[in-house]
Parts: sequence; structure tokens; C-alpha cells
Amino acid sequence: MNPANNDAQPVPRRRLLAWLSSVGLFGSAVLAAVSDLVFFKPRVTYSPSARFSIGKPDDFPPGTRVARDVERVCVVREGNRLAAISTTCTHLGCIVSISDTGFACPCHGSRYDQDGTVTGGPAPKPLPWFKVSLAPNGEIEIDKNSQVQPGNYFNL
Amino acid sequence: MSTLTPEKPGVWSAVKELPGNVWSSIFRNPLPSTDLERSSTSFTNFFLHLHPVKVHKNTLRPIYTLGLGLMALFLFLILVVTGVLLMFYYVPSTTQAYDRMLDLRGTVAFGIFLRNMHRWSAHGMVAIVFLHMCRVFFTGAYKRPREFNWVIGVLLLLVTLFLSFTGYLLPWDQLAFWAITVGTSIAGYAPLVGQQMKFLLLGDTTVGQEALLRFYVLHVAVLPGVLVLLVAIHFWRIRKDGGLSRPEKAAKPPAQATYKARVYGLQGFVRGPFTKIGNVGDDSVYSWPNLLLAELFVFVLTVSAILVVSLLFNAPLEQPVNVMHPPNPAKAPWYFLGLQEMVSYSAFWGGIGIPGLMAALLLLVPYIDRGTKGVGLWFSRERLLANTIFLTLVILNVIFIVIGTFFRGPNWTFVSPF
Repeated sequence: MNPANNDAQPVPRRRLLAWLSSVGLFGSAVLAAVSDLVFFKPRVTYSPSARFSIGKPDDFPPGTRVARDVERVCVVREGNRLAAISTTCTHLGCIVSISDTGFACPCHGSRYDQDGTVTGGPAPKPLPWFKVSLAPNGEIEIDKNSQVQPGNYFNL
Repeated sequence: MSTLTPEKPGVWSAVKELPGNVWSSIFRNPLPSTDLERSSTSFTNFFLHLHPVKVHKNTLRPIYTLGLGLMALFLFLILVVTGVLLMFYYVPSTTQAYDRMLDLRGTVAFGIFLRNMHRWSAHGMVAIVFLHMCRVFFTGAYKRPREFNWVIGVLLLLVTLFLSFTGYLLPWDQLAFWAITVGTSIAGYAPLVGQQMKFLLLGDTTVGQEALLRFYVLHVAVLPGVLVLLVAIHFWRIRKDGGLSRPEKAAKPPAQATYKARVYGLQGFVRGPFTKIGNVGDDSVYSWPNLLLAELFVFVLTVSAILVVSLLFNAPLEQPVNVMHPPNPAKAPWYFLGLQEMVSYSAFWGGIGIPGLMAALLLLVPYIDRGTKGVGLWFSRERLLANTIFLTLVILNVIFIVIGTFFRGPNWTFVSPF
């Protein structure tokens, strides 16, 4: 390099280049970190589908209140109204069991009433209600991906 | 070959001198008998050059360090060795993991013993790392210039806990499954990112095959790597920060014995304890053999303790996972039972709020407490306030752990163990 050129304007240009490459490198690092997050978030999971059918309405006569531990829902039928209440404790994810007054969690003693409203213990939220529908083949379908307001029964 | 050599060494003499030549090509010194050789031994050996040539006498006082940092290191080494051996027989699959646990118990030679060693060392490491932190706090050893090494230490504690937590799931028994279900749900309470974090950690919405695989990879590859890196920085900084902390008056040699001089050597870059030329009297001793014998003693003590405990007690293994029947009560690992006890009052504050606050406080300790007094002494008067606050928090934590461990029965109701 010609030393005479150094007097002209080499420092700002070098500084700009250094600045640009720093931004480039740092940007790539951020991009790499974000792609890691994208990579680690599974696009499909291997667990059973969140939408499933549980059988014909006749399998659940009025007055039914039955907990299905595999799907972690409690199917409730009152007259011609159906509901699916989650049996996963909103506290720390244990499975609540049906008790005389509603639901009770074995892990930290949370208690819920028949509708899943918290009546005691550390649970911060009521048990969610899942969307119930009737599939074209006449079977009851529960979708755990969409919740409905508690008390919102599905009319047969 | 040089033709100028007056006598060509014969093949026979080379053979005769082979053992000696090989030995001296590996170890540059004979077993040291002079101070120069003692210095040189520490300096030229890869494993020994972690050590300074000389250490302050205070560093070797068992009552000062209690050897806790070394114990934590040796427990980690036991964990690496036994862990790698267990990996030869373990399969991170929900259908096979539990059977492999039974195989370890039934068919693998020394399997049960290795698993015991791994389990008890893991529990021991959590406890010892925590006690090491207490030692450093109560002796004020985190003060300038050692602030950042305290921060590294806090990170090491967190990584140790996470390592232990990820290992907890691997046997895939009821204890493992429900402890991790409860533990990851706690993470789910973090504001904004909680549920995302839980999903990333589990690879699914519930604990299952994906979670087992992720925990396995974290446990055997990612976290040990992070831990090794942090330990390396931790040790390196002990040297660069001038060795272990010690009382102020012991930090410098008598004034008349030092003089300023330019030193062109590696020691010139090392901060403290002081630059010494010639044979000036001071309070330091040669690392070989003093420090090495102390380390050997702690090593033998640690390994013996783990061997004895592993011979006496078997690592627990409960029923295989049944996702439909949580045990009652479902309990997290003991070191998280303090958390779980707090969580039983409020999931957010007990699981995220208070622990997060505590971790932040711990990280900031050396930047909040800027006083320079009371370094190198147990429970020094000048640090009465800081020590009292820290001791209170430690005792509170222990009380919560004891309540969660012994006083909580089915449905987390209060029961008496007596």
C-alpha cells in the first residue's frame, strides 16, 4: 500500500468495513441461534392425535360421568347435552380423578367441582372444556386443540 | 545422523537406555528432590500445569476450603466414568429404558454397582456444589478480583441441577416420569415463554418418547460439555485471580522482602500473589508435593465415600411408567422438593418467581456487596449482615426441602413422619 493514501481517507473506510462485517457476523450469529430454535421445535409430534372420536352418543347414556385416562378427558352427559372436561390438573399436569364433589388431584391436593371450577388447593385455573362435535359417521368427536367456555355444552 | 558425533551410540546401548529415555521424554524431570525440580515438575507436566508452582499455605488449610470444590470435581469425574460405562447398556426408548434398568440389576456385571455409584455421586454433587457455594460466601471469597468466578460458580450450580434433573427421567420408572411431569410443568409457568420452553424441552405436549430422547442427549452430551467448559474457566480464573482467597494480612509477604523488578516470564502476566525474585521468605509452599498430596487425599476420601455408600444402598427403581396413575404423592427430586413445597402454595411464585429472583440475586452477589473487608475468614465480623441474610435463605431452603421430603403425604397433606 502507498503510505500517501493513508492520509486521504483510509480510516473511515476501514472503520465502515469493520463495522459492516461486525454487523454481518453478529447478524449471522443471531440468525443461527434463531434457526436452532426453529430446529428444536418439532413440526410434528408422535403422540396420539389431539382430535379423536370416542364412540356413539348411545354409549354415553344421560347421567354419564366417565373419566378416560388415556385421552385425559372426562365425558359428561346430562340429558341431551355433552361436555368433555380435561382431567389434566392445571397446576402441574398430574391426572385428576373423579371424586364425590368433582375432581381431585393426587399430586398437590387441588380440588375442583363438577364443572372443573377450582374449589381448593394450588390450581390457578379451572379445568378447560374441550370442543365436542358430532362427526358425519355419528360418532362423538373431541378436539383437545380447541377449548370452549366452561358450561358450554354440546347439544345432541 | 550427524557424522560429527564422536561416538556413535550403539543399538545395544539404545535398547539398554530405552526405559529411561522413554520416561525422560515424557517427564522432563526426575522425581523432584530440589526446589528447581519441584517448580519444573509442576510447570512441564500437562496435568500438573493447572497448578501454580507454589501455593499459599492458607490454600492448604483443610478447615478453610473443606476441600469442597475438589470433591465436586472428583464427583463429576466419577459421574463421567460411570455414566459412559452405563451408556454402553442404556437405550433411550420408552419401550426399552426400564428393561435396561432391570438388566443392569440382573445381568450386567457390576451393573447395579455402577448405577448406584452414578446415582449417589449425582446426589452428592448437587449437595457438595451447594455447600461449596456456602463456603465461598461465608469466607467472602467472591470479592474483588474474584467476582466473575462467583458468577461462573453460580452457572455451574445451575448446570449441575439441570444435569441431575435430565438424568432423573432416564430410568423411565414412575418416580422419573412424574417427577419430570411436575418439574417441566413448573417451567411452563414462566411468563410469556413458559409454554414454548416446555414444548421445546419435551418435544411434545406431554412427557413421552421425544422427551426421553431430548433429556438423554442433553444429559450425556450437551450439558456435560457446557459443564466441562465452565469448570475449565472456573479453574483458569482461580489462577488468574491470584489463587484462592485468603486473609488480607496473609496476602502479601513482609514488605522488606519484596522489591519492584521487571520480570520477563509467564508469572509476570499472572495477577498476584506477588512477583518474587530470589529466595524471599513467604508463606507459600511448593505444589509438588504439598498441594498434590492434599488433592490425592480428597480424591481418595471422595471415591471411598461413594464406594461405601454404593455398596450399602441401592439406587431406587420404582414400577415402570404408568401414565394413567400418578403416585400419590408425586414428588420431584429432593433438591427440588423445596421448590415443590413452595409450588404447592403458588405455582408461579413458588416455581418461577422466587427461584428466578434467587438465581438473579446469587448472580449479582459480588456486584451488590462491594465491601472489601472480611475476605478469607469464616463468618468474619465485618460481613455479619451479608452472612446473616445468606444463612437465613439457606436455612429457609433447607426447611422447605425437609418439609417437602418428610412432612408431605398423599394429596400433599401435612403428615408427621414420626
